[in-house]
Amino acid sequence: MNQTGSASKPTAASTEGAHTPSVSRRGRIRSQSRWWSAWMFLAPALLLFIYFKFIPMAQGIRMSFQDVSPFLGNTWVGFENYIEVLTNERFHQAVRNTIVLGAGQSFGAVIIGFLLALLLEGPSRTLWFVRTAVFLPVVTASAVVGEIWRIIYYPAADGFLNKVIGLFGMDPIRYLEDTSVALYAVMTVGIWSSAPYYMVIFLAGLAGVDRSLYEAAAIDGARMRHRIISVTIPALRPAIMIVSILAAVRALRIFTDVWVLTGGGPAGSTQVWMTQIYTQGFERNNLGVASAASILLLIASVLLTFVAIYFTRNKEAK
Amino acid sequence: MELGIKNLKRTGIAMTVLLSSTLSVQAQDTLEVWSRSGPQAAATYEAVFKAFTEKTGIKVEYLTALQFDTQLQARVAARDLPDVLIYDQSSMAAYAQNGWIKPIEVTDLAGYDDVSEISWDSVKVADGTSYGVPFSQHAQVTFIRKDWRENLGFDVPKTHDDLIALATAFATGDPDGNGIDGDTFGMAVPGTTNRGFFAWWMFSYLAQQGAHYVEGGEGKYEVTINNETGKKAVNWLYDAFCGDPNLAQPGAMTNASATPFFAEGKAGIYQTGPYAIPSFDSKIGKDKLELILAPAGPAGSTTLTERTSIYFGVTSKLPDAQKALAEFLISAEGQTVGMTAPGQPVVRLPVNTTLNGAEIYGDDRWATVATQLENSELFPSDIDFTAARLEIAESFQTLFSQCNDDVDAQLEQLANRISDELSALDALK
Repeated sequence: MNQTGSASKPTAASTEGAHTPSVSRRGRIRSQSRWWSAWMFLAPALLLFIYFKFIPMAQGIRMSFQDVSPFLGNTWVGFENYIEVLTNERFHQAVRNTIVLGAGQSFGAVIIGFLLALLLEGPSRTLWFVRTAVFLPVVTASAVVGEIWRIIYYPAADGFLNKVIGLFGMDPIRYLEDTSVALYAVMTVGIWSSAPYYMVIFLAGLAGVDRSLYEAAAIDGARMRHRIISVTIPALRPAIMIVSILAAVRALRIFTDVWVLTGGGPAGSTQVWMTQIYTQGFERNNLGVASAASILLLIASVLLTFVAIYFTRNKEAK
Repeated sequence: MELGIKNLKRTGIAMTVLLSSTLSVQAQDTLEVWSRSGPQAAATYEAVFKAFTEKTGIKVEYLTALQFDTQLQARVAARDLPDVLIYDQSSMAAYAQNGWIKPIEVTDLAGYDDVSEISWDSVKVADGTSYGVPFSQHAQVTFIRKDWRENLGFDVPKTHDDLIALATAFATGDPDGNGIDGDTFGMAVPGTTNRGFFAWWMFSYLAQQGAHYVEGGEGKYEVTINNETGKKAVNWLYDAFCGDPNLAQPGAMTNASATPFFAEGKAGIYQTGPYAIPSFDSKIGKDKLELILAPAGPAGSTTLTERTSIYFGVTSKLPDAQKALAEFLISAEGQTVGMTAPGQPVVRLPVNTTLNGAEIYGDDRWATVATQLENSELFPSDIDFTAARLEIAESFQTLFSQCNDDVDAQLEQLANRISDELSALDALK
């Protein structure tokens, strides 16, 4: 409230200057009206947030403690839904898969995003074109990306990717059918579609690196890899931190890629937390259990964010 | 300042008008009807409802949703259900158990007597109450690429051995005559676990081998998939999926649909519903396609019966209109439009006994479907079998994608899971 008051002072002063009579009274009315006028401007967004975010969230928390059946009446079941989630074998499998997929995908996408940024940094027109082309997967709907990759991954010998690896004498791979390969196939698609997004953040970070540092390093005889390790990476630390948090939180909520590519199969080998929530909620009509699983996911995301912030703060303090 | 207020007023008025017009779209006397249909079937439904509106003056607002269950959940949460739902018989028990649909006094419906008794029996839940009105019925049938079969010099398969021999020849030979051996596949298999679909597809082949997931009736079932016949039947299928050559199309276990593999000339045998006839005719050609009775296994040629029924949403304020629509849909007129309107037949074979499907279609293949229907079984639908069906589909997907020779052990596990799901419903014998 104080902030709003002080921020609006200059305008208040200038109007007061223009109109002479009853300065103090009008000034008071103005400043009184100010505190709620700020809320007025916030109101549309706030209302939308309350209606579409906070109320559903509260409802979700309530449903996670209930056996949900809107027409027969919900019944309170305490922590039963949570126990069901925590003891359910399929959720255990989903946790393992989510962690492997999340870690692999975040790591892969950040590294590749970084390499792409190094390659494509610069003001040249051609680079601008290549950057746009590289960025395309990010703006493509994930359902479309999934379908395209299903074609690329077509498991017969005349499938696109199988033909390519066939040139090197390799046997065809059943990318999405082989239970030991499917998760990595999904991971590759995730990396492919999210790396360019991180590239853009890194590009913004690279633009802010002091050129003279590179020149100084070059004069000192530093090679390319020394320059990257000693100049670029330290300068990009804030960007790397942001990108890693984003990647990790995104990876926890991965759904569409998996759903379109494999539907969680084969044999649950690509079943992740979100697909399990969907199955419980919409296929098995177990909305209480699905809500409990969603709340656990929320808690995990919040914890992860806190851990990440803690580490960033520590770094900054140093 | 004044201008600002005026603008604000105008915006306010505009918003109010907009809001009220949105709300009034759904008029009081319009019947909201949902079905789970693709665009072609939806066109046929539109024609059926048009005929209904012309006859009765009751307007219908029709919505088709492929993600039927997800969208229905949203309406359940809002406690505002569509007036009428037209959907697979297998969902009825779950909807009834959750209190989403109304019990129906079926004998009060005009035209009750014209509908076969077996159809009326199918819409009862375990306690004998009816929650649906039968609308369409068919059995899964076997489609074969006739031209491929003839190219390789095979006869129409009559037994499971014939079927496997033909599928093997399709998978290893060159039935499409493009000069490359082995670039075609034996069978198109819908191995997806979505809605537990794989469990439906397997049902027919298991039944032909004499095996069932569960046996019983009237709300009490016993798990039999792990008995000796069950094990033998599953092992037979296991060899088809895990043997060399693999008889299913690549990606069978994760493809959302197996239909394109058959329709686009990649696989030569496909067991599915006869609703696919029009689209296969146009994509493959009627002369290159044949529809046959299921090749017999040791226990015969039984396949899966599939039924579509009409349900009444409990929140509806239009009980008379609901009833009128159901009466129209089971009448000779409604059933005929559902079979013949352009698109895809939504009434596959009529439940109305005064009609003869094959005659109306003018196509003998529908007589084959009718014969197959005589020799088919319904998946239990008097209890909510959804959870058990998902378990079945997931277990078999695991078994056939891992191919680790673990059939007996996995069947025991599956049997335990089905038992757990059934006892949760108090439906275990």
